[in-house]
Amino acid sequence: MISLVDAPYNKRLRIVNICGGHGIHRRLLSLGFHKNDIIELDTSGIFKGPILIRGITSNTSVALGRGVAGKIMVEIVGEK
Amino acid sequence: MAKNNNFPDLIFIGQPNCGKSTIFNAIAGLKAITSNFPGTTVKHTHSKVNVEGNILNIIDLPGTYSLNPSDEAEKVALTHLFVEKPDLIINVLDASCLGRSLELTLELIELGYPMVMALNMIDLAEKKGVKINPKKLEVFLGIPVIPTIASHGWGIKELLDASLRVLEEGQTTSPMKWSRDVEENVNELIEKIPENFSLKTNRRFTAIKMIETGREFFIKMLRENYPSLKETLDRVKKNLEEMHSAPAYEVVAAERHHLALKIFEESSQVKRRKTISRLERADDILMHPILGYFILLAVFLGFFFMIFKIGSPLEELLLGPLNHFRQYLSMHLGSGVGFYIIDGLSQGIGGGIAIVMPYFIPLIFLMSLLEDAGYLARAGFLMDTFMHRIGLHGKSVSPFILGFGCNVPAIVSTRILESRRDKIITSLLIPFIPCSARTTIILALVAFYLGPFWAFGFYLFTMLLIALLGRIISLFFRTASPGLILEIPSLKRPSLKNISRKTYLQLKSFIEFAWPILIAGSIILALLEFFGIDKVINLILSPLVVKGLGLPQELGVTLVFGFLRKELSLIMMLQSLGVEYQALLSTITKEQILVFTVFVSFFIPCLSTVAILWKEVGRRIALLSVALNTGVALLLSMIVRFIIGA
Repeated sequence: MISLVDAPYNKRLRIVNICGGHGIHRRLLSLGFHKNDIIELDTSGIFKGPILIRGITSNTSVALGRGVAGKIMVEIVGEK
Repeated sequence: MAKNNNFPDLIFIGQPNCGKSTIFNAIAGLKAITSNFPGTTVKHTHSKVNVEGNILNIIDLPGTYSLNPSDEAEKVALTHLFVEKPDLIINVLDASCLGRSLELTLELIELGYPMVMALNMIDLAEKKGVKINPKKLEVFLGIPVIPTIASHGWGIKELLDASLRVLEEGQTTSPMKWSRDVEENVNELIEKIPENFSLKTNRRFTAIKMIETGREFFIKMLRENYPSLKETLDRVKKNLEEMHSAPAYEVVAAERHHLALKIFEESSQVKRRKTISRLERADDILMHPILGYFILLAVFLGFFFMIFKIGSPLEELLLGPLNHFRQYLSMHLGSGVGFYIIDGLSQGIGGGIAIVMPYFIPLIFLMSLLEDAGYLARAGFLMDTFMHRIGLHGKSVSPFILGFGCNVPAIVSTRILESRRDKIITSLLIPFIPCSARTTIILALVAFYLGPFWAFGFYLFTMLLIALLGRIISLFFRTASPGLILEIPSLKRPSLKNISRKTYLQLKSFIEFAWPILIAGSIILALLEFFGIDKVINLILSPLVVKGLGLPQELGVTLVFGFLRKELSLIMMLQSLGVEYQALLSTITKEQILVFTVFVSFFIPCLSTVAILWKEVGRRIALLSVALNTGVALLLSMIVRFIIGA
């Protein structure tokens, strides 16, 4: 289990846990990112910029600040 | 349902970026009886339309991801949903992300109002390889499902027909069942809700929201007034949490999520595409960690360069006839009060047409283009890192960019920010962003007389100033910003129809609200001049204007009036110096022009901005903003004067 900040780009990832406060958790749920969902990392900004993730099942892209991304724990489930 | 009038209320609701407002405008624009207010996506918009002889009240709500609001724009949506008690809900979905959008649909069905679904952007879904069967969706959800492509007006008539049918025949929807253990717990809570409890639409919805809510005041209210209900609620939540080893609100959200995915999978076929579309490829470049920033810079340079290149020749072209007309007036009307009034009138009307509109129209057009294409969210993504340096995050970028158009909607749009801290800092910084009125002044004075590079330098300086102020203001807040969570909508080919519509609405509001102020201001100045009162005001202000800023004494009165509308300062400047625009340099130096522009740009936000600040963030912050802007304007214009020796 690794945090989203350390996750590789070329792999499919499964959300294992969302740590952090209720606010962030609820926001992610309403944007369609739930535990066990499969996601991919798309791109990230320079100078510790945000991370862009794409939900495979929900077909949506969301930009997450590093602080938020660090609270999402994922595991690698396969190739992209 | 009892209403103030007998017309049925139709509420449009959907997640952000689903094309809801486009559908709304297609209907409201089609047969609008009373015109709607220029809407930003954070306000609700009312309109009355006549559809085949049926008068309908249609209401557009801000986009909301769920019925558990996490920012103010979403709270607006929810409040209206409960207050308006609609006769029909039109749920608009982005078909290209059906799986997620259905989660809101399931929540709306729980409300129990009659409902119709507009399955919008069906073409985009097919491009993404998703083929949806609307009939199957209808069977699952028990409501009419109408495929639409709002940007082309496709499916709108069918949507209206279906809505009228439901209004006429009525509809009973029943919420979909969840897993047995969750259902049992929800039912236990439903039974314990006392008869006198204030319900949100129905008992089941109320019970579910009780489980989901994290609001302290609600829990406190329960503890004080309904202790036995609170006990049951705690037990139900504990049961759910133990069985699913997750917070109760997540258990409920997961139920909807799984149900939504099941419906999505069974009503759609997804083909994995081999090729990616041109727009997706463009997105890879637009959001590229290095190229993205070059493009961002190029977009903004191009943006102002184009406005100047379109605006300045137009301005020169239009000023000619205006000046001829004024010469004609002075020859025929002499120097009585009549001349002063008519000359003030022509300055106000002419200034609006010849000086303001040449820059204003291209600016709002290009702004709408960026907005419509979905570039604002991308700019937010790219700028997030830099925004962190000034104590904010990428979500504030979109209000900032809107501020270049007009500060008022920009401040309203800070409602999308989740934390009050971010909202206050962003609202205090927005008045420093040169809006279209100030851009007009910067382009018409600085770019025109000192050259475009000076104007560019002016913008760059403004950006640095905002960054510095942001850093300073955020020092006063102990809490950190909650961090960026921002959906990046699919890139869209901008629709000329949408952009023209937005431009038209903003131009209309300029003509209706701002222009009369410009005209009235010019006439008042003319009268002040006629009675010699302007000299008194100028004399009072002369220590500041002449000694402090090194400007001609005549400009004192124009600085005061800039508070009403920033463009007024420009128009009145010419009026009070008594020169034509092209002959400005005969009475004032280039250095003085720069000092004047710096002062007017940063001086107190205009009247409408102060009013909206007052409304959105309160009196204290509004007054703080006035003080901050005035202080910064005074300090900077004196520094500029000192450096360039004006």
